[in-house]
Amino acid sequence: MTATNISRVALVVFAGLLLAVPVVMPMFVSPFWIDIIAEILIWSLLAASVNLLLGYVGLLSFGQALFFGVGMYGAALSVIHWGADFWGGLAVGIVAAMLMAAIAGSVAVRLTWHYFAIITVVFSLILYFAAMSAKPITGGDDGISFSTPKVFSFGDLELSLADQSVQYYTILLVVAACYGLFGLIVRSPLGVRFMAVRENDRRAALVGINVYLTRYLAFVLAGGLAGASGALFAFFGRYASASYMFYHVSGEAVVWAIVGGAGSLLGPLFGTGLLIIFRELISTVWEHYLFVVGAITVLVVMFAPRGLAGAWSDFMKVIGRNKPAETPTSNPGLSKPAADTKLGG
Amino acid sequence: MSIRVELYRHLAAKPLLIVRGALRSVGGVSVIELVLALAVNGLVWGLIIALIALGLSIIFGLLDIINVAHGDFFMLGTVAALTLTVASGSYWIALLLVPIIGFAVGIVLERLVIRPTIRQASLTIVTTFGLSMMLQEGVRAIYGAQPRRMEAPIEGTLPLFGIDYDVYRLFAAAFAALCLIAFFAFLTRTKLGTWIRAVRHDPETATALGVPVARICAITFGLGTAMAFLGGVIAAPITTVEFRTGVDILPFCFMAVIIGGLGNLQGTVAAAVLLAVLEGLVTSVTDPTIARIISLAFMSVVLLVRPNGLFSGATR
Repeated sequence: MTATNISRVALVVFAGLLLAVPVVMPMFVSPFWIDIIAEILIWSLLAASVNLLLGYVGLLSFGQALFFGVGMYGAALSVIHWGADFWGGLAVGIVAAMLMAAIAGSVAVRLTWHYFAIITVVFSLILYFAAMSAKPITGGDDGISFSTPKVFSFGDLELSLADQSVQYYTILLVVAACYGLFGLIVRSPLGVRFMAVRENDRRAALVGINVYLTRYLAFVLAGGLAGASGALFAFFGRYASASYMFYHVSGEAVVWAIVGGAGSLLGPLFGTGLLIIFRELISTVWEHYLFVVGAITVLVVMFAPRGLAGAWSDFMKVIGRNKPAETPTSNPGLSKPAADTKLGG
Repeated sequence: MSIRVELYRHLAAKPLLIVRGALRSVGGVSVIELVLALAVNGLVWGLIIALIALGLSIIFGLLDIINVAHGDFFMLGTVAALTLTVASGSYWIALLLVPIIGFAVGIVLERLVIRPTIRQASLTIVTTFGLSMMLQEGVRAIYGAQPRRMEAPIEGTLPLFGIDYDVYRLFAAAFAALCLIAFFAFLTRTKLGTWIRAVRHDPETATALGVPVARICAITFGLGTAMAFLGGVIAAPITTVEFRTGVDILPFCFMAVIIGGLGNLQGTVAAAVLLAVLEGLVTSVTDPTIARIISLAFMSVVLLVRPNGLFSGATR
């Protein structure tokens, strides 16, 4: 069996496991873990949005929480004020986040490297402060809560998010759709352009790729992913709060993406899963689990900068021997460009 | 009456209503006087923040590291100041010892955490973010989450533009200014300082000429850390001591460094003072959140229009 086949089988098994969660899990552990898995799926989309930028276009964003927050408020406010149902709220959240990304991105992607990281933090801080002080609309730190979203129906069968399994499968459906779309995009010509820009923006420009536009598209798409994550989280927690727009949330997403492995499609999902399960296990025993998360972050960057996905592809190489694994082998977006290319465009 | 005007340690969550109320309620104080007092307060904080931001700036200029943990180094400085003051009974011993501790902490962290990851330039942001989490959570685990206050070592107030201003704050500003002057003198007048500037300018040539570049990098990181600690010990009596203080101070330091120009040291100092005074002035007419939003927006414009800083060209 070649490495690719093993990866494929592993993926199918993994998908099967995710589908079986609400049925199988209560047999072994508390049903509370179904919600944890759902939470992992949701947060992994935020990590995926970091990954799209860092792993595929080579831009380190420390401000994805901004789009998470916009998605969250888009969903919550449309449910509260317009009585939107789940799908309506989700759509509003995603579109609002993409619009915000389209505005912020038009200036942010002019910069690269450190400057890009800083300006994304700055933008998210500005909106964070604004959301914090606009209490009548956003509820500030306390946030706004809304009642269980309207039931959504297929034909005459009505399903409600109040049911844990329905909620889980709904989240799984949306998250899987997002990953499917993400996968399609990175395998499309656009995805190839992403990677060309990541590897060497100057050469990419010379072969006729519009570097600015490519980065811009990636930024807007990443905003959409973060927005989907935020909207789902709003439905999951039935509330939205400005505190989720703080840069620490963005930082955590970066940590998940890197621990999972930037530049691989599903790596960040596993990174998110690992750290959230870890949090759930440790935080009951020791409230200062963040200390360990920080230590893990430092250690991963030091010893395994390609994360779990890197370890997996190395493992596959050992097993398959003849065929290298599919994941990109270079260390994406992490090398420092020459001094004169520091500033993009 | 005494108005304790405390800016910049407040985030949006704690709007500074005292100042707005003051505009209406203080009978004997004219608006102009209050604005001047706020400007002076801005200057005091600006000088302290300049010291911290300068540490951030030399670390960036030499090592290309965006040190997200820098605010937490400041926080560690305030915690160390409080601990040492309680232990030794004198603030002045803490003032002497804390920067030395900071230097040692910096040297150790550089060797353990920074050097192994220095090759992945953008990942150092992630490393220092992890470090920041560890420092904050470590302090919370040891000292608890309760914010604490520290007695000012110099008591008394001075009438200043119609309000009673703490003498210690004026001392803090003067001391911070003195440290800034001493630092620039060190950079230009000593051999080590010259080496640091040489490595900043051209590491290859410096290596070829026999400058121990690796050691200079370690010393620079130590110095940068020491400056954050020094800022912490100076600011400890006029701010709260808790594990989150660094989170409040970091964005401001970054603004100073960016607006002054990444790695441009004089620019950093000028920008810190300018920003703090401006925020102080803006705060006198509106609430501090708006002031912070305005300076952040100003910073984005600078970053986009003059990415090498507001003063680029002047010193390069």
